[in-house]
Amino acid sequence: MPQVMSSPEAYDAIIVGSGAGGGMAAYNLTKAGAKCLMLEAGSWYDAARDSKWLEWVYHTPHRGAANPKTLIDYLSAVVGGWQVEGEPYLSAPGSEWMWFRSRMLGGRTNAWGRIALRNGPYDFKPYSRDGKGSDWPISYEDLAPYYDKTEELIGVFGSAEGLENTPDGRFLPPPAPRCYELLIQRTCKELHIPCVPSRLAILTRALNGRPACHYVSQCGRGCRLGSNFSSPAVLLFPAQLTGNLEIRCDAMAREVLIDSEGRAAGVSYIDKKSRKEVQARGNVIVLAASSCETARLLLNSRTPRFPSGLANSSGLVGKYLMDTVMSDVTGFLPTLMDLPPHNEDGVGGMHLYMPWWNYQKQQRHELPFSRGYHIEFGGGRQGMPMPGLLSGSQRFSGGGYGENLKQSCRKLYGSFVGLHGRGEMIPNEDSYCEIDDRVVDQWGIPVLKFHFKWGQDETLMARHMQEIFREIVNAAGGQVVASRGPEQQWGISHGGECIHEVGGARMGNDPKTSVLNSHCQAWDCKNLFVADGAPFVSNADKNPTLTIMALAWRTSEFIAEQVRKRNI
Amino acid sequence: MEEKRARNIRLERREILKLMAAMPGAALISAAPFVSSLAKAMPGQSARLLDPADYQPKVLDPHEWKTVRVLCDWIIPADQTSGSATQAGVPEFIDDWLEFQGGNLPAEIRGGLTWLDTECNRSFGHDFIEGTSDQQKQILDRIAFPQKAAAEDASAVAFFNHLRDLVVSGFYTSEIGIADLPYLGNEPQSEWHGCPEAVLIKLALVPAKKTA
Repeated sequence: MPQVMSSPEAYDAIIVGSGAGGGMAAYNLTKAGAKCLMLEAGSWYDAARDSKWLEWVYHTPHRGAANPKTLIDYLSAVVGGWQVEGEPYLSAPGSEWMWFRSRMLGGRTNAWGRIALRNGPYDFKPYSRDGKGSDWPISYEDLAPYYDKTEELIGVFGSAEGLENTPDGRFLPPPAPRCYELLIQRTCKELHIPCVPSRLAILTRALNGRPACHYVSQCGRGCRLGSNFSSPAVLLFPAQLTGNLEIRCDAMAREVLIDSEGRAAGVSYIDKKSRKEVQARGNVIVLAASSCETARLLLNSRTPRFPSGLANSSGLVGKYLMDTVMSDVTGFLPTLMDLPPHNEDGVGGMHLYMPWWNYQKQQRHELPFSRGYHIEFGGGRQGMPMPGLLSGSQRFSGGGYGENLKQSCRKLYGSFVGLHGRGEMIPNEDSYCEIDDRVVDQWGIPVLKFHFKWGQDETLMARHMQEIFREIVNAAGGQVVASRGPEQQWGISHGGECIHEVGGARMGNDPKTSVLNSHCQAWDCKNLFVADGAPFVSNADKNPTLTIMALAWRTSEFIAEQVRKRNI
Repeated sequence: MEEKRARNIRLERREILKLMAAMPGAALISAAPFVSSLAKAMPGQSARLLDPADYQPKVLDPHEWKTVRVLCDWIIPADQTSGSATQAGVPEFIDDWLEFQGGNLPAEIRGGLTWLDTECNRSFGHDFIEGTSDQQKQILDRIAFPQKAAAEDASAVAFFNHLRDLVVSGFYTSEIGIADLPYLGNEPQSEWHGCPEAVLIKLALVPAKKTA
């Protein structure tokens, strides 16, 4: 028996990863007629079958609480998580990087928050605007048609607002706001902070054979009816109907294979079930394994021709790693006490949000940090009660026990609101990942070591979040329950904690200062493309998934055109 | 037997859903009412977990177990609206939670139970669970009201805050507690209407309608 299996078939394209970017590449390339092989490191997942939809918390182990070691709960549509058994990673001293990895078909699109915001024109040219970071090689106008197409395909609700650097999209109607959202919106109006319908990839009208939402606020569990966007339901299963897509799960990519002319020839992966290496051959290789896994794959593809890894002549693979700045404040709003009981579930996410409103102030240098954040908020009676509900209530009820305690729990229920800042990080030299050759995972693949540092812009932004959120809570007549001061670095999150890690194989106009060209094609290897978050040059406060998909669509069109022209 | 039935129903539901997924788009537009009736007809997916009838404590010893049961019903007794913490399976939730969370939590809770017995023995000459209702109340009143408690009881106050949180968590995530709040969700809707008028009025988000 040979120890290395080789697939006899050569595919037009091999796509590594089945999440937002890989799904979008598969959807478009299969429609263009390409025979595609998709490699997914995790197991098969189909929300229509596997979602823990409508399950009551009291029928689940530990009432659905997150496991204290993995931080993953039973109800969420997550396989993988903050720790993947047998797949370690390292953080350099002082860099507490948190790395969330999915090991399931569809990746993180199964459980994500469905927040689908477009980057605005400023977000593609941040260096030109404030002299920090770098510009993208493309502009908003280049990507706008792909945002349009993506929204029309996946379904995004929202409203046209015409706000600065917050482009409107092709929206389905937004759901009516919840009670606590209206209360906060009224306060924001007084404070001159815009508070508008959010933009989520959830259907409020039937679309392309998918029914509208049924409003049980459980998107994170995966939707059995496919009313929210996930890669399997909306991209992969339709792509399979073309007959051009073969999906192999439990296939852990190890390296990109190179032929004697320096072209990518295929992908070597470990079949997890047999633990044997398999080599698949393809004409085009698309990496969409998630930003850091993509960087890891490139760095592990070392050959005499490419001793520092594939596509890495610039030395920039793994560099300029970014996440989103997070900081939160929780408020207790007595006005919300003792309301008439009502169902506040709604969609699986916020119905309103606050886009960044200080672009002009920053342009006039009136704020001590250069980039923006938006505010997400939740609370009230939304969602099924989970362990931790009303914890610490003695601060508001005075404590006690017995019938009085029951009465105060009923009164307090639904009167808390959490404000969550999500802000832009400027890429820096101290934030990157590299291979540590001394450690391998259980598949024999060398692992990543992370280096990460927030800059001053980010910590000052977190301070601003704390100040503004406290102001909102107080102006709404509330009391701040939990807030962070300078001794806790204004509550700034750990790098990676927001699960918005992007960068590591950035695009650019110059092969010396970028890994990919403006079509996400490797400068060093013309049949190699990246379709996840790794090409990002900056990480606007706008959640990355919609941009990953629009960019992957644009890249897929370019690939199809280049193949047609016989350029690759 | 019960579990077998549940499994059959679960299978049926999967079959139905498969069928729904195969239907053309237009037919799915008003899936929600159908989903709703389906959800109502289903009991829980899994057989009831941590069934009090045959639960064996994993962390608490028999004396601690009895003590926790008594404390649970002091914290959440039955009232006119709903049942008690023990009726809602809270002691089972707590014992399981101590094992699940691990770390310092079991020691903290068991230490608090020992404090209760020690103080009861000093005052009344017996353990907490052997005390009269008045004696138990007397000791709980020392530690259940953080703002009024004596400084030297601070650690016991912290214990009781933690225990109260655990009981509240366990109770309000039980079937009885969820109905008590009441949480009215997990109920598929064919349309979403936003904040009800009665609440809008109470929050002064719309002017109250003039009475004729």
